Amino acid sequence: MFSSSTQLKFWTFSGVTELNRLRAEANETYVSEYGKNETIYYLTAEDETKVRRHYEYVIKDFCTRFQPPMPRSVLGTALVFFKRIYLHNSIMDYHPRDIQHTCVYLACKVEEFNVSLQQFVAQLKGDREAAMDVILSQELLLMRLLHFHLTVHNPFRPLEGLFIDLKTRCEDIDNVERLRPGAEEFLDKALHTDVPLIFSPSQIALAGILASGKNAGVSLDNYVANKLLVSGGQENLLKTVEHIKRIKYMVKNQDPLIREDVKILERRLDACRNPENNPNSETFKRKMEEYLDDEDEKKAKKRQKWEEVRLCFVHSSVYIQIFLSFSRRNQ
Amino acid sequence: MEQYKILGRIGEGAHGIVSKAKHIESGEVVALKKVPLRKLEDGIPNTALREIKALQEIEENENIVKLRDVFPHGTGFVLVFDFMLSDLSEIIRNTERPLTEGQIKSYMLMLLKGVTFMHENNIMHRDLKPANLLISSTGHLKIADFGLARVFQNTGNRLYSHQVATRWYRAPELLYGARKYDEGVDLWAVGCIFGEMLNNSPLFPGENDIDQLCCVLRVLGTPNEKSWPGMGELPDYKKISFPETPPIPFETLLPDASTNALDLLKRSLLYPSAQRIPAKEALLHLYFFMEPLPAHHSELPIPQRGVGKRIRRANHPHDYSIDTPLEESLIDPDLIAPHVHLFS
Repeated sequence: MFSSSTQLKFWTFSGVTELNRLRAEANETYVSEYGKNETIYYLTAEDETKVRRHYEYVIKDFCTRFQPPMPRSVLGTALVFFKRIYLHNSIMDYHPRDIQHTCVYLACKVEEFNVSLQQFVAQLKGDREAAMDVILSQELLLMRLLHFHLTVHNPFRPLEGLFIDLKTRCEDIDNVERLRPGAEEFLDKALHTDVPLIFSPSQIALAGILASGKNAGVSLDNYVANKLLVSGGQENLLKTVEHIKRIKYMVKNQDPLIREDVKILERRLDACRNPENNPNSETFKRKMEEYLDDEDEKKAKKRQKWEEVRLCFVHSSVYIQIFLSFSRRNQ
Repeated sequence: MEQYKILGRIGEGAHGIVSKAKHIESGEVVALKKVPLRKLEDGIPNTALREIKALQEIEENENIVKLRDVFPHGTGFVLVFDFMLSDLSEIIRNTERPLTEGQIKSYMLMLLKGVTFMHENNIMHRDLKPANLLISSTGHLKIADFGLARVFQNTGNRLYSHQVATRWYRAPELLYGARKYDEGVDLWAVGCIFGEMLNNSPLFPGENDIDQLCCVLRVLGTPNEKSWPGMGELPDYKKISFPETPPIPFETLLPDASTNALDLLKRSLLYPSAQRIPAKEALLHLYFFMEPLPAHHSELPIPQRGVGKRIRRANHPHDYSIDTPLEESLIDPDLIAPHVHLFS
């Protein structure tokens, strides 16, 4: 249920202002920690947003081309994971190129779209073995960055609910299904905005169906005011209407992404990213190995310690015996 | 991990080792379930993700074990649960004290409340069994081990794996290889657990999957299209056939059980999943409102882990003994007289 979800409790924010403040903080934290080199250009929070948005489209491309076809919810969940991660982390710290596939892979599991890792990387270009290593090495990191909150409530199911409701309670609207393509397109667009971090899935779905209705010349105002939201009272209705307006505005007024800009920023990103978190860097590989060996080592050390203690006992008991035999002889 | 002090190992769960630990800051005793992630072909196992997903999203419920925290540790991560003293399988096995009818009612109520809550939240547990029903130090029952739990959607035509649930508690449609099933698999398991408490031993202790079907068929009788509509479409239906046997009445099988108990049992252990009594309805069954009434949780057995505790209790200096003279356990009034101030 959405009302008791981690999404509502931890990942629903008041608005774009709050989101941008968090992103600016993440950017500042990175620059203050790693931005010592004066010859390097460090990305600003605005730069980061551009690159992040670019990768959201890369993820979408990958998901829509995936075979067997993925349910929409996998893409939805993957994109929300991706957005959540970069609310508290800079893209310079964790490069979106490495994070993107792990996001999708984890989303597959969470949405119970069962594909093996082999099957998954088979759809990637380039070195598949390396891609597998990256995904396996980052899965846990990703869970940690998501604070182990895995369930994402997407607007797709509420949209189905609204369609069923419209069909059963609004017989005056003929052929409700013709609103579907427009509504689905709206939801797809909404996934590439900050909307999923601010509004509840049912409100996004409602905005989608209303926008689609408006384009088709179907007014749903009567349905919303006198049927759907009638039990919530006037105040609630006004609040929802205001939310719907905000959602529509955000979906329709997205800044265009300029490809050339992103290319330049990506080149700059290669220079200012954190090498410790680059799965292809030597530093990262070394760290991973240390990490893996750590537990074995701990166990080995423990064993060694016990061995020392045991030897100590053996030695001391030998000394005691010698001492005793000497003292007996002296008596 | 530094926040916890390990006190000992409890056992091995569906994924990884479970240990008892103390949260240093609050002093609370918890159970830590370590999920190791080494050399796994597909990365983090689904079972672990499902457990987190199922338990994180639901509100707190008295009869469902609480996931207190998740944190990374080494190459894996750790799930933190409330520490529980024992489980129902241990209590059923403890033959020194067979359960009274009131106690069985009380356990059933708590189990059904937990199952109702799960199903209302669209979660199928898929592995209900006495060992997964934990018992707290206050005698409360809590459903645990959500490693097989799935969020279900009644609208979809999703296919699920039939290799779920521990064999003895596995519903007949799963034994016939069904890939499309519903929360009825949990209701079957509830019936089996109920039967096990009434019977003091498992109702259908099959030794393998085929034998499991035999056990069920021996009691419920060979199913046919009339008693189980749609059974012919189950994947493994044609792979195996059994000789026709009539059902054995539950009255013969469990001669000591009350009529109401048997009625509830019969309504849970039915072939067609849709006819099994939903947990929410079962809570209103006459059985729970007839004498003897469900026992209060303080009247339920509180098992002790390890024998040491019991011995220590016997030697407790403040225990009252009926053999010692009364004067010895009383305080001499003259001794405290100087310390008592009289208020006038």
